[in-house]
Amino acid sequence: MKPRVFRMLALTAGLLTICAAAWAHHGNVAYDESHPVTISGTVTEFVWSNPHCQIYLDVKDAKGKVVNWSVESQSPGILRRNGWTRTILKAGDQITVTLVPARNGAPVGFSGEDVGKVVLADGRVLKMNVR
Amino acid sequence: MESGAQMRTFLLGLAATVVALAASAPSFAQAGQQAAPAKAAPAPKRDLSGVWQFQGGGGAEGIPEKDMPPMTPWAKARFDLEKPGYGSRAIPGGNDPILQCDPMGFPRIMFMPLPLEFVQVPGRVLQFWEREHEWRTIWTDGRPLPVDPDPTWFGYAIGHWDGDYTLVTESAGFNDKTWLGPYGYPHSEQMRVAERYQRTDHDTIQYDITVTDPGAYTKPIVGPQRHFKLHANQEIEELPCVWSEENSFTKRIREPAAAKPAK
Repeated sequence: MKPRVFRMLALTAGLLTICAAAWAHHGNVAYDESHPVTISGTVTEFVWSNPHCQIYLDVKDAKGKVVNWSVESQSPGILRRNGWTRTILKAGDQITVTLVPARNGAPVGFSGEDVGKVVLADGRVLKMNVR
Repeated sequence: MESGAQMRTFLLGLAATVVALAASAPSFAQAGQQAAPAKAAPAPKRDLSGVWQFQGGGGAEGIPEKDMPPMTPWAKARFDLEKPGYGSRAIPGGNDPILQCDPMGFPRIMFMPLPLEFVQVPGRVLQFWEREHEWRTIWTDGRPLPVDPDPTWFGYAIGHWDGDYTLVTESAGFNDKTWLGPYGYPHSEQMRVAERYQRTDHDTIQYDITVTDPGAYTKPIVGPQRHFKLHANQEIEELPCVWSEENSFTKRIREPAAAKPAK
C-alpha cells in the first residue's frame, strides 16, 4: 500500500516539475536553460545599468587557468526589490553565481528568474526574481 | 477489482496531488481564481489607483504563439523577415526592435512581467509602466476616438466604466513598427485594441484583451487573460532602455553569447 502512496507523491512531484518548467520556459534562446551551472570566483566589475545589470568575474577552470566570465542579470529596479544595491558587489569580492550558460560555450551566462542567484562570501543569497 | 483499501490509498494520493497543485498554482498561474484573503477590504469604486504587479501565467512576455490566428500575406511577409530571440523560431541575436531601444509599444508592454501604476485624474486614467519608464493616457471624458489619428507607438486610447469595477478601453492609431511580443509577430496600422480591467476584489485586476487587425490577421486575437495584484507599498522603479548602456551590453554580453562557436 505504501508504495502506491509514494508513487502518487512521485507523480505529484513530476507534475509540479512539469508546471515549473512550463512557466520557466520563456528564456532567450542564446542560453541553455536546461543546464544551469554554478561558478565561483572574484568580481572584476559590477555594472548597474538599464535594462541589464552585468557581473564580470574571474573564475579558475579545471586546469587552473583564469577565465573572465560575463554575466547578464536583471534591471536595477528588479534587483533593488530583491535587496540588492549598486554597491553590493565590488571588484575583489569572492562570489558564487548560478546561471544558465551560453549555448555556444563562451564564458557568458544569464543569472535571473528561477535558478539565478549570487551567494556572497558571508553566505548571503541574492536572488533576481521578477515578481 | 480494486479493494476498498487500495481505493482509499488511491484517493489519498489523488488528494495529495490536488492539494500540492493547488498550493503551487498561485506561484505561476490563475492567481485571480484564488479565494480572496479574509483581510481584504472592499474594492473602491471606479478606482484602479496604485501599483499593480503582473502575476505569472497568462502569456508572460507575449501572446502565446499557439493563440495567433492566420496572417494576411502582408503580415506573413513581415513575419518571415523577423528574427526573434524567443519562441519556436528563436535564433541567438536576432532583430527584435527593442534590442536597439525602439519603444516596446502597446500592447506588447502589457505582457511584461513588471509593475504597472494607475493614476486617476478627472477625465483621464494614466498608466505608468516600469518597463521603459513609459506611460499612456486613457481618456475617460467621453470623447470619441479620433477618426484618422497619426500613428504612434502607444496609440490613442479612450475608456469608460462598465459598472463600478470594470474599466473598458478602446485604442487605435498605432504605427506598425512594433512587434506584438518577443516572438516576432507584426501588426499593421489598422490595429485596434479593446481591453477590460475588471477589479474582481480589492487586490486583483482581471485583464482581458482583444486585438483586431484586419491588415495583419484574419481573425481577432483574444486573450490571454492576465491578472495583476495590488502591491500597495511598491514603487515604480526607473527602467528605461538606455541606448549607450544597451549598446555596451550588446557588445560585451549579447554578441559573445550569440556568436557561432569557435572551432
